[in-house]
Amino acid sequence: MTGAAATAPQRRDRSHSLLDLHVLGPILALAALILLGTGISATNESTFLSASNISNVLSRSAFIGIIAVGMTFVITAGGLDLSVGSMAAFIAGLVILTMNSLAGTVESVPMLVLVGMGAALSAGLAAGAINGFLVTNMRIEAFIVTLGTMGIYRSLVTWLADGGTLSLDFTLRTAIRPIYFGGFGWLTWPIIVFAFVAVLGELVMRRTAFGRYCAAIGSNEQVARYSSVNVNRVRMATYVLLGLLVGVATILYVPRLGSASPTTGVLWELEAIAAVIIGGTVLKGGFGRVWGTVIGVLILSLIGNILNLTDAVSPYLNGAIQGVIIILAVVLQREKKAGT
Amino acid sequence: MGDAVTAPLALRDVDRHFGPVQVLHGIGVDLRAGEVHALIGENGAGKSTTMKIMCGFLVPTGGEVLVDGRTRRFADQREAEAAGIVMIHQEFNLAEPLTVEENVFLGAELRRGPLLDKRTMRERTAELLDRLDCRVPPTARVRDLSNPDKQMVEIAKALRQEARVLVMDEPTAVLTTAEVDTLLEQVDRLRAAGTAILFTSHKLGEVKQVADRVTVLRDGRVVHRGPADMSEHAMANAMVGRDVSDLYPAKAAPRGEVALRVEELDVPDHAADVSFELRRGEVLGFAGLIGSGRTEAMEGLVGLRPHRGRIEVDGRSVTIRSPRDAMRVGMVYLTEDRKGRGLLLDKGMRENLTLQSLPDFSGLTVDTAAEERALDDAIARFDVRAPMRDVKVGNLSGGNQQKLLLAKTMLADPEIVIIDEPTRGIDIGTKQQIYKLIRELADEGKAVIVVSSEMQEVIGLATRVLVMREGRIVGALEGDQIDEERINGLQMGLGRAAA
Amino acid sequence: MHMKVILAGTAMALALPAAAQETQTVGVSIPAATHGWAGGMNYFAQEAVDRLEEVYPQLDFVLATAGDAAEQVSDIEDMLATRNIDALVVLPFESDPLTGPVAAVADSGAWVTVVDRGLSQEGIEDLYVAGDNPGFGRVSGEFMTSQMPDGGDIVVLRGIPTTIDNERVEGFEEAIDGSGINVLAMEHGNWNRDDSFTVMQDFLSRYPNIDAVWASDDDMAIGVLAAIEAAGRDDVQFVLGGAGMKEMIARTRDGDPMIPANVTYPPAMIGTAIELTAVGLTSSAPVSGEFTIGSVLITPDNAEDYYFPDSPF
Repeated sequence: MTGAAATAPQRRDRSHSLLDLHVLGPILALAALILLGTGISATNESTFLSASNISNVLSRSAFIGIIAVGMTFVITAGGLDLSVGSMAAFIAGLVILTMNSLAGTVESVPMLVLVGMGAALSAGLAAGAINGFLVTNMRIEAFIVTLGTMGIYRSLVTWLADGGTLSLDFTLRTAIRPIYFGGFGWLTWPIIVFAFVAVLGELVMRRTAFGRYCAAIGSNEQVARYSSVNVNRVRMATYVLLGLLVGVATILYVPRLGSASPTTGVLWELEAIAAVIIGGTVLKGGFGRVWGTVIGVLILSLIGNILNLTDAVSPYLNGAIQGVIIILAVVLQREKKAGT
Repeated sequence: MGDAVTAPLALRDVDRHFGPVQVLHGIGVDLRAGEVHALIGENGAGKSTTMKIMCGFLVPTGGEVLVDGRTRRFADQREAEAAGIVMIHQEFNLAEPLTVEENVFLGAELRRGPLLDKRTMRERTAELLDRLDCRVPPTARVRDLSNPDKQMVEIAKALRQEARVLVMDEPTAVLTTAEVDTLLEQVDRLRAAGTAILFTSHKLGEVKQVADRVTVLRDGRVVHRGPADMSEHAMANAMVGRDVSDLYPAKAAPRGEVALRVEELDVPDHAADVSFELRRGEVLGFAGLIGSGRTEAMEGLVGLRPHRGRIEVDGRSVTIRSPRDAMRVGMVYLTEDRKGRGLLLDKGMRENLTLQSLPDFSGLTVDTAAEERALDDAIARFDVRAPMRDVKVGNLSGGNQQKLLLAKTMLADPEIVIIDEPTRGIDIGTKQQIYKLIRELADEGKAVIVVSSEMQEVIGLATRVLVMREGRIVGALEGDQIDEERINGLQMGLGRAAA
Repeated sequence: MHMKVILAGTAMALALPAAAQETQTVGVSIPAATHGWAGGMNYFAQEAVDRLEEVYPQLDFVLATAGDAAEQVSDIEDMLATRNIDALVVLPFESDPLTGPVAAVADSGAWVTVVDRGLSQEGIEDLYVAGDNPGFGRVSGEFMTSQMPDGGDIVVLRGIPTTIDNERVEGFEEAIDGSGINVLAMEHGNWNRDDSFTVMQDFLSRYPNIDAVWASDDDMAIGVLAAIEAAGRDDVQFVLGGAGMKEMIARTRDGDPMIPANVTYPPAMIGTAIELTAVGLTSSAPVSGEFTIGSVLITPDNAEDYYFPDSPF
């Protein structure tokens, strides 16, 4: 408590925050990775900065990225969802089975594709609602609920696939390939959808009452409750939103290889959570930023990409490099301890 | 200051800066053995900083700390404790799930070989508690203790460290009147044993009762220093720097319609059969001891707790299941727990101000410009003082937090305002402002309920007082009947006044 | 310990003549179906159990699948303690952690058949049915050299870092040694379609010309093919997978130039092992020893023989 009270405090006192590592940290880490990639690419004549490599990295970031945007809301509101990876696998299996079984009866392929998309979105919505219901209405810890559903979806997809692989009918596969590989030149559909989801997510987080409520609930649920915020409804909405986005990610995933197996989406949940935290969202909730999450996802994808472009590091050590960079990115943005 | 040489602890010409801001200017205080020294001042006057420097939490940027006349520079609070200087924080520094004895010896456990010497620790704890005339068993869990007993455990812990200097930061803030008396007795006892005590409190009556000498701080400077025989009024004037004789604004008789009628409100386990009426322009006081069910009844009323009963607002029967429902009919509740339930301490003032009425500020997106205007208005109307506009609310002083909480509640434009403990832990200058604001609300035609443990506050503000005891309304007082003796009698269960 | 063995042996000797017509229990412990090959192996294990229960009414089978080595150890301990198994067929998750528990089963007097992965200690098992990992690599390497007599640039996708993977890669490297085939790079695709897709995309960015790919597994080959197709590159002449996934064998059979061959590493070896164990328990035919199932090159000519439409793999 300082004695220096100002009755009319300055409205703009943000100049200092431009130099704030909390904001700059993830951006710096991303920039450093891009420089590193460019350097490596120059030494071995690979094509790190080519349109096709950039397009590859952005497209493959899209699944985790879209899911991580949803995860940002869940974590900001003080929750967690470990089930998204298995959920994606399960939805992918469901979509493939649905489309295969209708292939005989429905003639129009575009119609089939639309049905598949509908199935993905509604399955995601339902799965998210189940998680949300258990967390809010049944008052079970999010960690336990989603650990449980993680196991359930994972074994459901294994069961659907008989332990093997579910594959889309060949004709359908050709028809839906453009959903992953098509677009406008290097600007493929996954990139477009990811960008759209990210911009929309950032807007919702920063500019809407919903985003504000998420942060308030994550910061102190009691305060939110005493402030007439419908805590359960907001919390439920975060899980439903995440489920829906898992559905969107699956729509983009299925066309890539046209198959789903028990290994689909393994560890996606941890990658999504890591991306969210690297981006500066607080794991225990109360503060979240979607743009940071996007950078976090790009950092994770770039690490893998760069390691594949060079032989300098033994592939056995890939995980170690990733770990070091994740920790560094978070250390960089640690806030100085609040003064007295 | 002349005899600082003999004082176990003294500050001389102490300055302290936080960045470019100087918060202490040449502070000089000396604490003598066997004496209670009161340090008083408004929130933000520099009391906390002064105490933290005494106890090694902060180092002075100028001047010196003297222990037994010799200059010392404490690197941290452990060094100060080693020198016998112990601070008791306003928010208890106890591990709630542990037992009393475990807390008393926390970090300094006695051992016998590799094992803990539980027996000796228990015996010593019992001895310490005996010295304080405290009846708590050493094996009790701290979370099961009442606030004054927790306070005693803190003091026992300080005694265990053989404290010669005890710095007590508002030890009575969360205690009831009876509990305060017990605590002050213990302070007397410690003084008699030769301990030097620094005592802070916003309750000047206590200061007068217990202190030998008083130092008054204002804006980081010592503005008065002397024996404690000055009047409360003089202390208050010295703290605020102006005359505060009219702490409570003049009351006015309610003249409006009945805004709220509550019949047979039951809040399971906490309150039963609570019935009352509230008029526009009225300030209705709810008195009662802590635990008498006042807060729970109000929380039930606004839908924060499950309840049964009939509620009418403006003559129409309403159902209230959540604070949202309450807000819809124009009723809001301002919690007694401003840090735990009232404000988001890690967020800025703007986010806090508009949290309750965010729908009014957002269509598709939140209109931040309108929020900033609302903050301007709130800062002006409620005199919220912040060092920076984007300060985190947790870094505001208690008084400014309370004013912001009031502003937040009023932003919802309620007709019925329930304020629980409007001035807990707040200095007298701010209290005066808040009382004036409450009166203004009533004068605007709002219906106001004030729940408070501070009897003076209820007496000074309310035109009618309901007293609760064990979950029920046990009496109603009006006009001249409202006095300390009657309220006390009712809340202790000694009599029953006509409703 | 010796005491125990003797006691157990005595008990067996006493019990055997009387129990000749009694039901005997065979425990089967295998890794769960977490990828294509393991899925196939689960399928063949279940199929063998179903079939043999018909053939040998005096045999009872207990099938347990485990998600990791620790779970498999618990499974085996439970089988021994609660089902009192007379024989164990085990495909160890990892060699080291399972050596002790399987040795305990052998000490109890039960018959032990080890499949695919050997234990760390020799002489525990009565029967060892093994795939030939160095042979798998060697056959793959020999095919590569035969297709590219003048040498060429290839990339290699490896599996999950394990002994199996190391043996295969060593066998492969020996086979291509001195052939003029240049391995541009190796990365782990973890026997996973998504991972291998990503790795292959990056290889394509990195190298303007790649003549062929050794994907070393059919799941990985599918990811690799998708990446090549998406990049629209026509410098890659063919992709060699492995393990004999039915879809891939069908494409070889139908003459797809990108998939000219396959190398077997049959998941059905688990069925062979269970069947041999049943024979060993019920007859006096000698079945103990080591039984290696070699890796065979599948080409369009013999593909039909290796196509099992009912298998999930």
